[in-house]
Order: sequence, then structure tokens, then C-alpha cells
Amino acid sequence: MIQLDDRLLALRAQVREWGADFRALGLALDRDPELIREHFDLPAVRYLSTMGIPPEYGNVPIPIAGNRFYGTLALERAIIMEELSCADVGMLVASPGPLLAGVLIDLLADEQQKDWFYGRMLESPLWTFFALTEPDRGSDAGALSTTVVPATADRPALLSGAKRYVGNAARAQLGVVFARTSPGPLGINAVLVENPSTGFHAEALETIGLRGARISAITMDEVEIPPERFLGRHLSPSRRGMWAFVQTFNLLRPGVAAIALGIARAAHEYVITHRTSLRRDECDRLDLLARRIDGARRLVHLAAAAVDARTGDGYLASAAKVRAAQLAHDATQEACTFFGAGARLEHPVLDKLVRDARGMEFIEGTSNMQKLNLFQGLFTGKLDREDPFRTAPLAAV
Amino acid sequence: MTTIARTDQWSRCHRAARTEGVAAALTELATAVLPGLLPCGPAGHAIVPTAIAAGAARVWADGVTVDRGSAAEKALGVIELPGGDVELLRHQVRPGANGFSPAERAGWTLGLVWLRLGLSEELRETAMRYLNGRRTGNSTLLQQQMVKSTVADGLIEHLEVRAVLTGIGPGELPDTVLNHLHTQLTYADRALVKLLGASGYLAGGPGQVARVSELLAEAYCRPEV
Ligand SMILES: Cc1cc2nc3c(=O)[nH]c(=O)nc-3n(C[C@H](O)[C@H](O)[C@H](O)COP(=O)(O)OP(=O)(O)OC[C@H]3O[C@@H](n4cnc5c(N)ncnc54)[C@H](O)[C@@H]3O)c2cc1C
Repeated sequence: MIQLDDRLLALRAQVREWGADFRALGLALDRDPELIREHFDLPAVRYLSTMGIPPEYGNVPIPIAGNRFYGTLALERAIIMEELSCADVGMLVASPGPLLAGVLIDLLADEQQKDWFYGRMLESPLWTFFALTEPDRGSDAGALSTTVVPATADRPALLSGAKRYVGNAARAQLGVVFARTSPGPLGINAVLVENPSTGFHAEALETIGLRGARISAITMDEVEIPPERFLGRHLSPSRRGMWAFVQTFNLLRPGVAAIALGIARAAHEYVITHRTSLRRDECDRLDLLARRIDGARRLVHLAAAAVDARTGDGYLASAAKVRAAQLAHDATQEACTFFGAGARLEHPVLDKLVRDARGMEFIEGTSNMQKLNLFQGLFTGKLDREDPFRTAPLAAV
Repeated sequence: MTTIARTDQWSRCHRAARTEGVAAALTELATAVLPGLLPCGPAGHAIVPTAIAAGAARVWADGVTVDRGSAAEKALGVIELPGGDVELLRHQVRPGANGFSPAERAGWTLGLVWLRLGLSEELRETAMRYLNGRRTGNSTLLQQQMVKSTVADGLIEHLEVRAVLTGIGPGELPDTVLNHLHTQLTYADRALVKLLGASGYLAGGPGQVARVSELLAEAYCRPEV
């Protein structure tokens, strides 16, 4: 298992403390997701607003026990995500910052693009979006049909198509859109888009849970894309499109698993806090849940360490995501059984946890898609059968 | 003055759940079993269409009937659903209030399982339509083996629940069995709703129906101790 070192333990303790603000605001934000605009000064929101920006671009996050955490590592992000989603996942996903788009920028952008993107993020808190899913193409992202018609002598490149369920797009100031310049996997490109832009329209969709995420439907009608907004223009086509989003998702997936883990932990903690005396069988059920949370956390941390060591190693992260998403479902449902008839109607926090947990199935790929990926890793030998955690550098005990 | 629903009333409620939605099905059931009453669960929670929330003069709490004005009532919210909204209420019924009617309770609790079965079966149909309309590679999502397996698992739950319910009258199944049937339906719903992808996570759609279906079980079932 991974032993978190003192640095990471200090990070966890600090973020846990920051989480108190999130917990206090969670229900209100669930009713009104725009409430986040009034809380940019909270330490966790401030931290998230630049998380993932490397130090060489001028990011100076506040020190924690003498260390600065840039949030550029999947393991750091997993720790942060678990704590903040345990406090309140709605506040976490509502917060401005480079998050998904930032990971892609880190992986794919050239120096000038990084300067521009990170520079804007450091100036003031901005929302970003990462637009991949389309109304007709969700899981089969490689078959996306949004187009970017390359520039000609007398007009710039033009982006047209539709995206759906894209987090924070309606309120974001900039983001990345995946689109194709030609058929086939090599024809996919990621372009930076500003909001507002002529021809770009994003509208929030009402969801059952994770309402802070403000998932949105986007339409793009001949949005002009200048050449410097094509990400990875300095790389070969094989490194720009699908390769890039697969690597990005590998890097992000442990964080998504950690969010689900945080929701499960929140449900467990809710029972402990609000049920003062427990029967023997109830203690046993709660202990079992705690063990499941603990087991999933170990898997999440090892998966994070694996992608930190090698961004192509997303197989463990698929396992961690499936496991944690199911755990969030189970834990929130189980928590309700400790509060008698009508628990969800009586405990709005529990109801919210149940609703939020359901969204974890879809973010960053459904369980079926993760299982197919995991199988592929095993079948092709990319997941080492003898020593599946071999790349994890922190494996200690 | 007890009204006991006949078998065809369960099938009407079940059919309404499949074709018209939660509000219509609850109206069928409440009109058949608890006319003029606001149906509340053991802890006083009600999930009812707007017309029943507005029109009921008396409150029925898990078998006990009292005047609606006689106890505190709290509105907990409204959920928009296809086919009509439902309101969430809580009524505090005094312990020891008299007028307990086991026949009404038996009718309501049995009807509720039929109702949820109808909703869950419709969810399966909706998922299949959605999946048949989406493509991956050269085939539809519905033809993916993992998808077929999930649909079949849902169907197996539905068939078993229906097998247990078939030929059964009110009061013939103990609470533990009814609770188990509800658990099976929740399990089926949770698996099936995933098949809708993120479209099943939108407010006002089939995923919201599945959520309300779960809430119905939670509001009206007596948890085991
Ligand atoms: C809260 C939230 C935030 C999101 N944020 C973003 C975002 O920021 N950016 C973005 O681009 N997208 C985002 N999404 C969208 C998300 O990535 C998609 O919902 C997800 O990829 C699934 O796509 P879909 O909804 O179209 O489902 P579909 O692809 O239609 O899948 C339907 C069902 O079929 C199954 N299935 C599909 N293909 C196969 C197969 N080959 N074999 C077996 N089973 C299969 C799936 O597992 C699922 O159960 C978000 C979604 C949510 C709910």
C-alpha cells in the first residue's frame, strides 16, 4: 500500500480543514449553483482556481506546512479531491479553475499557449470547460463529429457542431473543444475557445445531482479559431487528438475516483455524526462500509501513483473509478437505512449525497467503458499480471 | 367504510405507471384505496400528485386516519416529472390516534409495489429505445453484450417481482417480503438508469422518475428493526 509521506499528510490535513467552508455552503449551493460567485475568497476555492498550474508559469499557491502543492500530480489531486468532495462535492465542481482543461494544456500545449492559458488563470479566477461528449456520441468519443474546417487564404478555421453535458461551460470564460479536421482517429484536434465568441452558445442543463457542475449543452456555428488556438500544433497528429484525451483522462481518472470516494466517506461520516447510539448489527454494517472505503482509497492512491509514473498507465485508474463510483452509490444508499422511514426526505444532506453519487457513474466514462478498458489492459499485458502495481513508486509496505 | 381495491385496480395502477407516469399511477392507487385521503408513510411523509395534495381533507398515516387540520404539515418540495409533478409533504400524526385500518394499509402497500414495478418496466423500455438509437462502430449500443446483460438482469428482477405479486391479494405478503420486492426494484432501477448515460441524470426525465420511485419506497415502507 501507499504510505502518504509527511508532506502529503500535511496537505490532507490542510484541505480537510478548508473543507469546513464547503460543508457549510453545500446545500445552499445545491439550490443555487451560482452562489459560488460569492465565495471566491475561500481558501479552497482560491487554491482550486490555480490548481494544476506549474510553478514555472508563476503559480505561487499558499504554502502548506512549508511546502507548495501545485496540484500537478494525480496523487496530490486525489488527496485534495477526496477531502473536498467529502466536505461538499457541489462546491468542488462549481469552483473555477483550470481543472480538466488544465491537465490537457499541461500535456499538449506549446509554450506560448501555456503562457496565455495559465496567465489568464492566474490573473483572476476563471471557469474553464473541457468539451468532448456530443449529443449522439458519449462513450464512443473517438467517433465525435464536431468539425473544425481548416483555414484558407481568405478565412480562419471554423468550428461547428454540438457538445452536451459539459461541466461549467455555460459560465466558463474559456475551454477546450475536441473537433475533427478529417475522418479517422488522427483527424481529431483540441482547440481553445473563448466564451463569449461569435457562433458559440452554451446553456446549463438542470440535473438531479452535482448541480454545482452546471453541465451544459453547447452549440457552435462557425466559431472562428485562430491558428494559435490549435493545441499541440507543434506535435505530430498522432499526439494531438485521441492520444491526448486518453492521456488526459488517465491523469484525471484517479481524481474522479477520489471524488466518488469522498462522497462515500461523507455518507459514512454522516451516520457516525448523526446517529449517536448504534446497535451491534449497525456497528458491524458501518465497520464494513469503513473497510470498503479504506480498500477503495488504497486502490485510488496506487492508481494515481501509477499514472504519475507513466501517463499511459490508466488501467488501475479504471478499476479505481468503477470501484469508487459503485461505493458512492452503495454507501449513500446504505447511510439512509440508519435513519428510518423517509430518511432522504428528512435529511437533505443525505438526499443530496444520494443524488450526487449517481452522477459519478457518468463523469469521465461509464463503468462499462472502464471495465472494457481494464480488460484490455489485462488482455494486452499492459497491466502486469504478476505485479499490477509495479509502476507505483511509493509502494512501501 | 373501508374501500378494498380489486385485482384489476392493481393492473390499472401498474398500467398507468407504465404509460402515464408517477402522478397518474399514484392517483389511480389513491383513488382506489384511499379516496379523499392524503396518504402518508409511517414517519408521516407523503409523495402525491398536486391534486391530491390540494384536495385531501383527511390524512392517512400508514393506516391511521385523522383530520388534516389537526396536525402540523410541512411542504418539503415539488419534483417535476413527465406526466405531472409530485409534491413532497410531511405530516405529524399524533401517536395513539385511532381509526387504524389494516385493510387500507394492505391495499396501499401492495399497490405501491405494482406501481413501482410499472415504473421500472417502463424505465427498461425507455433505456432500450435510447440504446437502440445510439451507435458505436457498426452496431447500436443495445447490441453490446454488456448492455444486453444489464437489460436482462433488470428483466429478471422484474419477472421475479411480478411472479411473487401474481395472484396475490392485499395483506397476503408480510412487510418483509414487500420490502424485499422494493429492494429488488431499486436495484433494477439503479442498473437500468445507468444505461441512459448522462441523459438519465437530467431533472424532469426518466432518471428523475427512478429517483422518485426510490423515494416512494422510502416514504411508505416500514423499515425492519
Ligand atoms: C456531472 C457530469 C459531468 C460531465 N462533465 C463532462 C465534461 O466536462 N465534458 C464532457 O465532454 N463530458 C462530460 N460529461 C459527459 C460524460 O462524459 C458522458 O455522460 C459519458 O461519457 C457517457 O456518455 P453518454 O452519456 O452519451 O452515454 P452513452 O454513451 O449513451 O452510454 C449509454 C450506456 O451505454 C453503455 N455503453 C456505451 N458504449 C458501450 C459499449 N461499447 N459497451 C458496453 N456498454 C456501452 C454505457 O456504459 C452507458 O451505460 C459529464 C457528465 C456528467 C453526468
